[in-house]
Amino acid sequence: MFKILAILVTVISIFCGNAFSQDAENIIKYRKNIMKSIGNHISVIALNLKGKVDISSDILPHSKALHITLAAMDINKTFPEGTSNNSGMKTTALPKIWEKKELFIDKMQESINKAKDLVLAAEENDKKIIAKALGALGKSCGNCHNEFREKKN
Amino acid sequence: MAIAITNLEKRKINILNYKNFIKFIFINYFFLNIPAYCADNGKILAYAAGCYGCHTSNNNTPFSGGYKIKTKYGIFISPNITFDSMNGIGNWDFKSFSKAIAHGIGPNGKPYYPVLPYKWYKDLSTKDSLDIFNYIKSIPQSSIKQKPHNLYFPYNIRKFLWIRRILEEKLFKSQIPVIKNKVISEGAYLVKNVGHCGACHSPRTIFSIVKNINDLSGRPKSNNNLNDGAPNISNNFNKGIGSWDELDIVFFLKNGFKPNGDYVESHMSSIIENGTSYLNENQLYAIAKYLLSNYNK
Repeated sequence: MFKILAILVTVISIFCGNAFSQDAENIIKYRKNIMKSIGNHISVIALNLKGKVDISSDILPHSKALHITLAAMDINKTFPEGTSNNSGMKTTALPKIWEKKELFIDKMQESINKAKDLVLAAEENDKKIIAKALGALGKSCGNCHNEFREKKN
Repeated sequence: MAIAITNLEKRKINILNYKNFIKFIFINYFFLNIPAYCADNGKILAYAAGCYGCHTSNNNTPFSGGYKIKTKYGIFISPNITFDSMNGIGNWDFKSFSKAIAHGIGPNGKPYYPVLPYKWYKDLSTKDSLDIFNYIKSIPQSSIKQKPHNLYFPYNIRKFLWIRRILEEKLFKSQIPVIKNKVISEGAYLVKNVGHCGACHSPRTIFSIVKNINDLSGRPKSNNNLNDGAPNISNNFNKGIGSWDELDIVFFLKNGFKPNGDYVESHMSSIIENGTSYLNENQLYAIAKYLLSNYNK
C-alpha cells in the first residue's frame, strides 16, 4: 500500500512539475515576444528617423502601439514567480524583479510615461522632437534593463 | 575665424613637442579669435573622452569625482578634477595635465592606475588636450574630497605599477596604421584616442594590459560577479558589428538603440548619454566609417 502511494505521489509531482515548467517556458517565450514587439516598433520608428525609409506616417501608429503594448502589460501574469534566470530556463530576467518588485513596477511605469511622451512627440511630426522622446524612452528602458536584466557580456 | 587642423596635423603636434606647442599657442591666442570654439570643442571632448562620465558621481557636482569602477582588482574611486586647489587639480598647469593624461604620471611623479586610459590619450593632439584643460578649468570648482581607491592586496601598492608599466611598454601595440582617407582617419582618432573604445573593447593580457590598440574584438567578463566584459565591435559581419551600416552606428552612438530596437545595456548607456551623444553628426559619421572599414578587422 505504502509503495503504491509513493509511486502515485511521485507520478503526480513529476506531472505537476512538468506542467509548471511548461507554463513557465511558455510565459518566458510570451514575454520575450512582447519585448521583441516593443523592439520592432522602435526599429520601425528608428528606420524613419535614420532616413533609411521615408514612411513617416508610420511613426505615430507605431508609437501608439508601443505605448499600448507597455501600458497593457499585466506584470503579475507576465512575470510570475519562478521564472527568473535562476529557474534553469533560458531567460535573462534576474531574481531582483521579484525581490524588488515595487522598484520594478516603478521603472516599468517610467517607461510607460516615456512611451506616452513619444506618442505626443509623434503627433508633433517633427523628427528632432521624436528622436529626443525616443532617446528618453530608451534611457528608461536601459535603466530597467541595467537593474533587472542579466548582462550579455 | 576658426582654425582648420587636419587629423594628420593634429597627430604631428605631439604633446611633448614644445616647439610646435609654443607655435600653436602663439598663433591661436594672438592671431586667431577662437576661445569660444575652444570652449565648445573642449566641452565636447571632455564628455566624449569620458572625463565627465568617469569623474562625476553626482550631476550637481560635475567632475568632482566619486564615481566607482568595480574591477577584479578592487574598486577604483575617481578623483575630483575640478580646479579646486585643495581637493582638485587647481595647482596643475597644462604641462602637469598633459603628463597625467598622456603618460599616467601625476605631478608628484607617482604613476596612476591604468584605469586612467593614458595609453589611448597619449596621441591626443595638443590642441584637443588644451581645449579639454581649458574647459575643465572653466567649470565651477568643487571642494569635495574623494576617498582613496579600495583595492585588494597587492594591487593597492602603487609602486608595483612601475613593473606593470615596463611590461606594458613591451606588450602594448599602439601603432595605428597610416590612413589616407581623411574621414576614416578622423574616425580612427575619435575611436582610439578620444573615445578610447579599446579600453573596454580590446582583449587584455597579463595585468590587464591591452595587447593591441587596433583590435576591438571584445573581451569576456572577468567573472560572473563583475560586469566588465565588452562585445566585439570589429567589422566582422557575424561576430562584430559588420552587419550594421553607418546610419545604424551614428544612431546608436546618438540615441543608444541597436538596429533591432534593443537599447544598449550597462556602462555603454552612460558612455552614450554622457559621451558620444555630444559629438556632432560628422564626427559620428567618421567613427562609423572607421569602424566599418578594413582597418577595424
